[in-house]
Amino acid sequence: METLRRVLFSVLLASAIAQFARGDSPKITAVLTSSEVVVGETVQLQIQIDNAGTSVKPPSEIDVPGLQIHFTGKSTEMRWKNFTASSSITYNYTILPEKSGTYKIPPQSIRAGKDNLRTPELTLEVVDSPRTAAGTGSNRAPSGNTQAGENKIAFAELLVPKKIAYVGEMIPVVVRIGFNSRTRVAEMAPPQVSGQGFTVQKLGEPERNLENIEGGSYVVFNYKTAISAARVGNFQIGPVEQKANILVPRRSSGTRRKPFDPFSEDPFSDPFFALPFGGLMEQHEIDVKSDPVSLEVKALPAGAPPTFSGAVGSFSMTAEANPKRVQIGDPITIKAAISGRGNFDRMDAPELSDERGWHKYPPSSNFKQDDDVGISGTKTFELVVSPNEKLTNVPPLAFSYFDPVKEKYVTLHSEAGPLIVEGNAPAASAIAGTSPSASTPPVPGGQQKTQDILHQINDRGKMVSSFAPVYARKEFWLAQLLPLTLALGVMGWKVQNVRASNRAALRAAQLQHERDELLRKLRRDQLAPREYFSDASRLVQLKTALKQTNIEPGTVDAETAARVFDLNAEQSERMRRLFATSDEFRYSGAGNGESALSSDGRRETLELIESLS
Amino acid sequence: MKPRALLQILVLLLFALPNAKGANDGPSRTGDDLFAKANTEFAAGNFKAAIADYQTVVDSGERSANLFYDLGNAYFRHGDFGRAILNYDRALRLDPHHPEADANLRIARDQAHSLELAPSALEKYLNFGTANFFAIVAAIFFWLAIIWMILRPGRVLWELAGIFLAAICGFAAFTLENGTRGQRLAIVIAENAEARVATVDSSRSVLALPPGSEVVILEERGDWNYAALPNDQRGWIAANAVERVRL
Repeated sequence: METLRRVLFSVLLASAIAQFARGDSPKITAVLTSSEVVVGETVQLQIQIDNAGTSVKPPSEIDVPGLQIHFTGKSTEMRWKNFTASSSITYNYTILPEKSGTYKIPPQSIRAGKDNLRTPELTLEVVDSPRTAAGTGSNRAPSGNTQAGENKIAFAELLVPKKIAYVGEMIPVVVRIGFNSRTRVAEMAPPQVSGQGFTVQKLGEPERNLENIEGGSYVVFNYKTAISAARVGNFQIGPVEQKANILVPRRSSGTRRKPFDPFSEDPFSDPFFALPFGGLMEQHEIDVKSDPVSLEVKALPAGAPPTFSGAVGSFSMTAEANPKRVQIGDPITIKAAISGRGNFDRMDAPELSDERGWHKYPPSSNFKQDDDVGISGTKTFELVVSPNEKLTNVPPLAFSYFDPVKEKYVTLHSEAGPLIVEGNAPAASAIAGTSPSASTPPVPGGQQKTQDILHQINDRGKMVSSFAPVYARKEFWLAQLLPLTLALGVMGWKVQNVRASNRAALRAAQLQHERDELLRKLRRDQLAPREYFSDASRLVQLKTALKQTNIEPGTVDAETAARVFDLNAEQSERMRRLFATSDEFRYSGAGNGESALSSDGRRETLELIESLS
Repeated sequence: MKPRALLQILVLLLFALPNAKGANDGPSRTGDDLFAKANTEFAAGNFKAAIADYQTVVDSGERSANLFYDLGNAYFRHGDFGRAILNYDRALRLDPHHPEADANLRIARDQAHSLELAPSALEKYLNFGTANFFAIVAAIFFWLAIIWMILRPGRVLWELAGIFLAAICGFAAFTLENGTRGQRLAIVIAENAEARVATVDSSRSVLALPPGSEVVILEERGDWNYAALPNDQRGWIAANAVERVRL
């Protein structure tokens, strides 16, 4: 077992090393958190290197006249996906512009292992007054802190890239919730973006990064979403509120701390780090709240083209029709794919620029998004049309949208595809039995094939009063009374049978009991002759009644007993004598023949009775 | 009593009584005259007058599959495909094996380019019978199981099998009755009808519905009906744009 465990561990370790060793070549990206900034405010430059390995040398200083650029720290992220490991390092710089103007941040050379990487050139627009930048600049609500001081426990940020938008425009929004890296998040629900007048897309799974911010290390959860204003006006987005349960290292008693700073002492002297799993953490429930962000929403300008259905963004369109050769009335499917970035949920299908000679069917659509929040992607429409006449091409599709960057409506047209339509539209024919009538109105919908319907029926047929299903009719349930009555009848008959059989069984048990009692008395040989013969004849009657259940014991005589038990002549004669003697004792008084009963006579009588079976 | 004889009696009773009560005593003289007049007007090409006369007979309650079929033909000739399809559907509802109504319904749908509701997978399997058929079979199985239970109390397996089959048939009847061909089926009778996302004419259109298209009414709210549409979506339709197949 131990050997197996070692082998498995070795395999996993080798696999992990191999993953890193054969990782993709390093890639570099550099972004500014805002392309415009006001003099005196800061903007962040982030240089991210993917698959960098460990030997990366970032530029220690970036020199751009007019900008103060300081390195503020780095964050490292490791990812495992489908058993493949990847890592990225992000170097953060803070840029503080000294004066207004347009600045170019030159490409920076960074050595990552054997590769020499270069960042792209970046442009930063610096303006004098905040008002100038407000129109198009980033709309960032800084953190709301739960605790004052340089090192915060947590913060929340709402990043909205615009301050002015159009109705229906999709605006990407990032909600950032950060926790000091020395805490552990025990429980946290997704944050809620509150506000009225706009719709918010569902927040997806957050990206988790370790970031150095103002000298502190934070675990930052980035939630991406998008908002879309539903009406014109000034709105307030947020604040974002977040409740979380976090675990913070327990304060060691007697240690002097700086006021308002729970992490001011040497971290390695903290009991948490001495015994990280020793339960030396305490749980706190904290509320993190960002500042709200204001957004001005403008109405779409007048003069929308007729094919505009509410799409706002930037799109492109391709279309293809198949088949290219059809008969009149045959369906042709036009697949139109609209790609780009915008409010796909409000997008309707493109329309035929010329519908004459065509019959349209309702379109179907399918959306495939390229990002996490559904702003970017491709919406594919399938329009089914059929030609009503001979036509030579499929008319181009027209699709209009409002471009908020260019601030104007754009109409896209697909190319008209060649088409061969064969056949002729048949003329309308008459109904059987009726001549073509001048009073027949033209069929609505223009030219189309007219088929002949079948003749009138002059017999009215069977009258039916109700469309309701049979079980919804009263008669159906009344009809159930018949099988119910039948069932009850069968049940009654069955009960009677059971009762009758019970009575018979009871009677038989009583007779058997009496028979056994009498037999015992006769065998005791102590009875007087009168009583003896009375009991003997009764015993014969009982045995006969038990054998033939429809006979009452009191009605059994010697002849009946002989017949039931199929006795021979001699036995029959003895049976007759038995009954005669019994009758004699019963009706002629106690003195007659009482002394005549010998022990042989008793035995013979008993034998006769016992032989009855 | 032998089980076979019992079954025969049961089947006879269950079939005979509802049918006997469901049918009227017969057409009245006035209804016959009006029907004959409508046929004459139809033959003369006076479709509007024929429609009025057929409709009067329908309103009198003397309904039959042939009457709805003829009314459907009159609407077809008048160019009102929505109502033609509606009445062919009604004829087939009263007589599912009405070949002329079935044929003309296909023609009318083809002419109107109407949209049909796709039956669910379960409905496709159950289409060999009607809700009435399954209801009656369910009742037969139920009573047979009950009577068998009384006669042979020890045969639990047979009794359970009977009850189970009755439940299956009852479920089938319920499914068909509440499905795409059931009691809530309605036909679009208006030209240029559209299903919308809300109960206002200016709201976004979900689906354009040609006359004769099928919808399933899910909810009625004032002048609007919320309906399941042939493209598997749902939307609000003006109440006067649709008419239920069942009267």
